[in-house]
Order: sequence, then structure tokens, then C-alpha cells
Amino acid sequence: MTPAQPAEPHPGRPPGAVIELSGVDVELGGTPVLSGVDARLDQRRVAVIGANGSGKSTFTRLLGGLVPPTRGTVRVHGIDVERGRKALRAAVGVVFTNPDAQILMPTVADDVAFSLRGSGLDRAAVVERVAGTLARFGMSELADAPAHQLSGGQKQLLALAAVLIREPALVIADEPTTLLDLGNARRIGGILIDDLDAQLVVVTHDLELAARCDVALRFAEGRLVDAGEPAALIADYRALHA
Amino acid sequence: MIAVYLPGDSLVHRAPAGVKLLLLAVLGLALSLLPREPALLGLVLAGAGLVLVVLLYALAGLAARPLLRQLWSTRWIVVLMVVTQLIFLGPAEAANNTVRVVAIVVLAGLLSLTTRTAELLTTLERLLAPLARVGVDPRRVSLTLSLAITMIPVIAELARQVREAQQARGVRLGVRAVVPLLVLALRHADDVADALSARGID
Repeated sequence: MTPAQPAEPHPGRPPGAVIELSGVDVELGGTPVLSGVDARLDQRRVAVIGANGSGKSTFTRLLGGLVPPTRGTVRVHGIDVERGRKALRAAVGVVFTNPDAQILMPTVADDVAFSLRGSGLDRAAVVERVAGTLARFGMSELADAPAHQLSGGQKQLLALAAVLIREPALVIADEPTTLLDLGNARRIGGILIDDLDAQLVVVTHDLELAARCDVALRFAEGRLVDAGEPAALIADYRALHA
Repeated sequence: MIAVYLPGDSLVHRAPAGVKLLLLAVLGLALSLLPREPALLGLVLAGAGLVLVVLLYALAGLAARPLLRQLWSTRWIVVLMVVTQLIFLGPAEAANNTVRVVAIVVLAGLLSLTTRTAELLTTLERLLAPLARVGVDPRRVSLTLSLAITMIPVIAELARQVREAQQARGVRLGVRAVVPLLVLALRHADDVADALSARGID
């Protein structure tokens, strides 16, 4: 395994915007799902690829604090994922594959506003932030629409809007385009790669999306087996399945 | 019945959620406690209650389809109440009680049709705040309620998926269809728990 190293420091990145994993194992119900993961990631866009069941999703859940490491340490932007859960929640936004499971409130505006719960903003400020975010995602017209009646693409846009309104320093996206058609997949991919003012870790089977990242990681059988420049790594991955 | 907010600019829409909740409580209590004897007076009072609710829908600009939809959604309550009360009580009391219950249920529907969930949650949390002293977490209560409202269409969609899966395979599971539905619902609950956790709620 080669730990991912930055080619050069990224301008505009705040100091400490680094993900560090050291000797990380994860076992779920006694079964090892990740073993011996070491990495240092300070690139702006990180793609994670690999076969189904290779440990990619567990890797992202680990970074999001949704599963604890069984052994080793994980630090996300200086926060220990086990000790700093509250700080981690504030710093990290997670987008899941299935937007249906992320929609927690009945209408679009309510769901986006829900992300600001506990932020200390007053009602007028919340309404303003929600309106601004929905406008940015082209969803102003849908503000009062029942969230679960949206199309798949609109639901994933809503899920992304609900994450980005909190302005997280790290966005983790677990196969965010898997359930979308080509147009919507490109739109979501474009927002993640081009517009996001945060570090991104995206798990994807969409190699076109992975190729647009700064670095790619490949997992196989619970191990981080390759890390480096996306084009070369994707070419190797394609060759493996040729 | 539980309904999704329909945007509008009427007096009912603009009224604070707390006022609407109070009105629902007062009218609900009044409809329950107003005299039922003699039967004619009881029926007149119940009918007047229902007319008042319809007028409130008109004031909200929702007297056409939304009102009819709300009334239609009470059909099973009506059937259940009328049948059981006709057996045990009699026609006058069956009509009296059923009209009152329908009026209250449809009035509750007007609350959710004209109030954003976020506003309702904030108001509920404020109203429940004194209960924090006896160990009730108002935020948790209001979140549970709103999640329940949100999940109704999701569970309906899962039920549709199970039904279609049966049709695709040419089988009919009947009552046993509840097992795959339960599995899907539990899996969905796991995903929602992750989403809640990711949004900072443990």
C-alpha cells in the first residue's frame, strides 16, 4: 500500500485540512471489514474506488464518525473521530447513496432548514440561508414541495443542499450518483468537483467522476491497495477487470 | 389527518402556530364536551362545529380540493365509528359522535396544511419546554413527531415496492407481505439513523 501524498500544497486550503489514518482496522460483528489502513490525504478532491464489498463505504463511514476504528487512529482535520464526535459533526457533511434515507422533514425547505437546527441562528436568518441555498441549487420553486415526491435527481440535490448549508470543511459522498441518470449524475458530480468550497472524499463506481479528482484510492478486500494519480490508478483498475 | 403544508398567504397561514394549536385544542375540547342531549341539540351543535371547520378552510382558501381530500381521508374512521355505534348505541348518537370526530380530525388537517413543519416544531418545543424539568426532552419529542410525518410516504413507497415485487414474480404473499415490508422498513430505519447522526443528532 502506498500512502497518498500530495503533489503540492493546495492554495486556499486552511491549515490542518488533512485526513490521517494510522494502522486502522475496522471489525463489524467480529468480521474484519478494513485492515491496516494508513493514509495521509490533504488533496482537495479524493476519489475512492474498488469492487462492491471492498471496504470503501466503511472507509467513508469511518471518516464521518459513523463507525469507530477497532484499532488505530483516524484524525479528520485535526479531530480524533472517537474523541471529538461533536466537532466532527460540525466539520463533516455526509451524502449517502439513497437520498430517500437522508430526507428527514416533509417539505424541501423544512428539510434544508433542519440542518441548521441547533446552529443558534434566529428564524429570520435560517429562512434567509435556506432561501439562498435553494436558489443556489435551482430549487427555489420547490421550497414547499413534499420532499418525497421529488424525482431521484432532485432528491439527491436536496440531500446535497441540506449538507452544504452547514458549510462543512469536509464533504463525504458515498456513491452519490449511483441512482441517478446521466444528466443528474453529471450535475451532482459537477457541484461536488467544481463548486464545493470544502475537501471532498467521494466513493464512486463512476470512473469519469473519479478521474476528475486530485487523487484516487483503491480498496480491495478491506485493504487500501493503491493510492495515487487518478488517471494511472483508474487505468490499472480497468486492466484488472479487462 | 396529517397533511403536507400547502403554501398560501391567508390569515390562517399567517397566524402563529401557537395560536393555531391553541384553537385546535379549544375547538377539539368544545366539540367533545358540548351537550349531546337532547339528540337534536347535540346534532345541531356537532353540525355547527363541522360548518365552523369548513368556514376555517374557506378562510384559508382551501375549501375545495384540500377539504374534500381531508374529508375523504376520514372515510375509514367514519365506517368504523358508524358501524360499531349503530350496533351498540343507536343512529342519533352514531351521527352525533361521528360528525364531531370528523370535524376534529379535519381541523387537525388544517393545522398541518397551513403551518410549516419547522414552525410547528419550534412551537412544540417551546410549549414542551417546561416538561424538561421532569426529564422530557422537547427537541426529541418534536423530532420524533416530524419524523413520523415524514416517514408515512416512505413506508407507503416501500409497501408499493413489495407489492410490485410480488406481482413481478406472480406470487401473492397476502398477510405474509408484512415480513419483507418490515425488513425494508428496518433497513430504512438504519439508514435514517445514519443520516440523523451525520446531521449531528444522536
